Amino acid sequence: MMRWTLVVMLASVACVGTAHADDMDGYGHMHGDSHPSSELVLFASLEGHEFSAPASANQLNEDATAIGDAVFAINRGRFRLFGEYQLSDEEHDLERMQVGMEVVPDTVVWLGRFHQPASAWNTEHHHGRYLQTAITRPSIELWEDEQGIIPQHLSGLLVDSRRPLGDDAGLQVSVGAGLGTVVENTGLAEFDLLDPHMYGRRMAYTGRIAYLPDYVGTSNYGLLFARNDMPVHDAQAAVLLHATDVRQDLVGAYADWNGGPWQVHAALYDVAMHLDGPDASRAESFVAGYVQLERQLPHRLTGYAREENSSSAADSIYIQVNHPDFQLRRATMGLRWDFHRRQALTVEVTRGHSVRTDQDAFRMQWSAALP
Amino acid sequence: MERRAAVTANRPMCRFAALVAVLLLCGPRTALAADRLVLVVSANAPVTALNSLEVQKLFLGLTVASNGVDLHPLLNESDEAIRQLFYQDVVSMSEPVYERRLLALTLQQGRTAPPVYRDSRALLNAVAADGHAISYVWASEAARDGRVRILKFLGRE
Repeated sequence: MMRWTLVVMLASVACVGTAHADDMDGYGHMHGDSHPSSELVLFASLEGHEFSAPASANQLNEDATAIGDAVFAINRGRFRLFGEYQLSDEEHDLERMQVGMEVVPDTVVWLGRFHQPASAWNTEHHHGRYLQTAITRPSIELWEDEQGIIPQHLSGLLVDSRRPLGDDAGLQVSVGAGLGTVVENTGLAEFDLLDPHMYGRRMAYTGRIAYLPDYVGTSNYGLLFARNDMPVHDAQAAVLLHATDVRQDLVGAYADWNGGPWQVHAALYDVAMHLDGPDASRAESFVAGYVQLERQLPHRLTGYAREENSSSAADSIYIQVNHPDFQLRRATMGLRWDFHRRQALTVEVTRGHSVRTDQDAFRMQWSAALP
Repeated sequence: MERRAAVTANRPMCRFAALVAVLLLCGPRTALAADRLVLVVSANAPVTALNSLEVQKLFLGLTVASNGVDLHPLLNESDEAIRQLFYQDVVSMSEPVYERRLLALTLQQGRTAPPVYRDSRALLNAVAADGHAISYVWASEAARDGRVRILKFLGRE
């Protein structure tokens, strides 16, 4: 299976590399790229930290001492090949691998493994830690293989479109469908392109619709939705959850506002869980969200504060059993200093409360985008 | 934005102006004292006009098609003054913010950043050779090269 995955990847590279130049596409636009263009960016980070209580059963990759995240892109006319590979002392993973075609300007159809668009944070920052001001990401936005409670990687089809709305505004619509995650004893397990196992995976659906007040700006406000049908693969997890199948329905709203020196990132998710067992079914729901305020200061400094909170999450069997380190509430403050070219130093303090423990944490991080 | 040397009739200023003129004549940026930044395309390019928003979208990495042609932006970093005018008048953002936008472009959309040229001759060669390429140079440079056509004057009058 892994061999077939590699064959598909190589075929994709060949497809992009040999696409005919100067062809007319289906909508009548000429694509004159006779040469492909490529981009390779390495997002690197080093972190030191001190916790008042043990971090969790497994240290988060978020808190790995060293992380390298290589992002590559090859474009040729309307074809795109894109990948992201992350390597750290905690894990190594092909995070994204996508082949895309821009069927009309600013509308791309992607095939492969992608980040689901119903995450406000991850769609903006992905794994590029240098591009997110804070060291930590909100607990509700954690990757599913890093104790996240919402599946973040799907393998299938993604359509991402941005259309003008009036003179200056725009509308972004992203919808995706693909193979989802399964529930393991220690959390969720997504489909791994390099070590693929089906484990009875089912299709997952996700999407967002966003309003862009300025088509070329960075502010945007939107609605999010996702449905994840997750078989419980691990027998012990099935016993603890009293379920062999977990369905998660998510609706949310978010706002990313950029007002010069001020920025606000906020998201609210309503998560409905359906735990189906051989004998009985159980429904539960909780709400979780966060608001992060950032202020640019003189000398390329940026101060930020974030408040995460949740409602009814502590009562969720899914949280108690499968995600005991989910931050029910957490306060974060930090200061970032951008220096040299594409490098930053950040210090951050947090006080969090989970089902398992209360924890204070201090983190210091160097992050960069190279070259 | 215009880049004019202030010249008055008094004697010290005349001497200063003469010195500036000599320096300009000796340097590679001849005649830049009254030069302006212009958007250029190949002389044979089918594109006839672009508005400011389209130019901004183009250099922010979004797809811009004109007369059915997808345009290819080329960044000109041959001159520090050109770089600064580009951030000020074309994309309307600071250099660090623009760099983050390009990084985000790759990270979020798998798009490659526009190619960067640090030599204006090489840039003009690239524009002249690609009917879909679009870039910006000093007006005097564009005027001297018959292979390219001025599409638009950039910046404020």
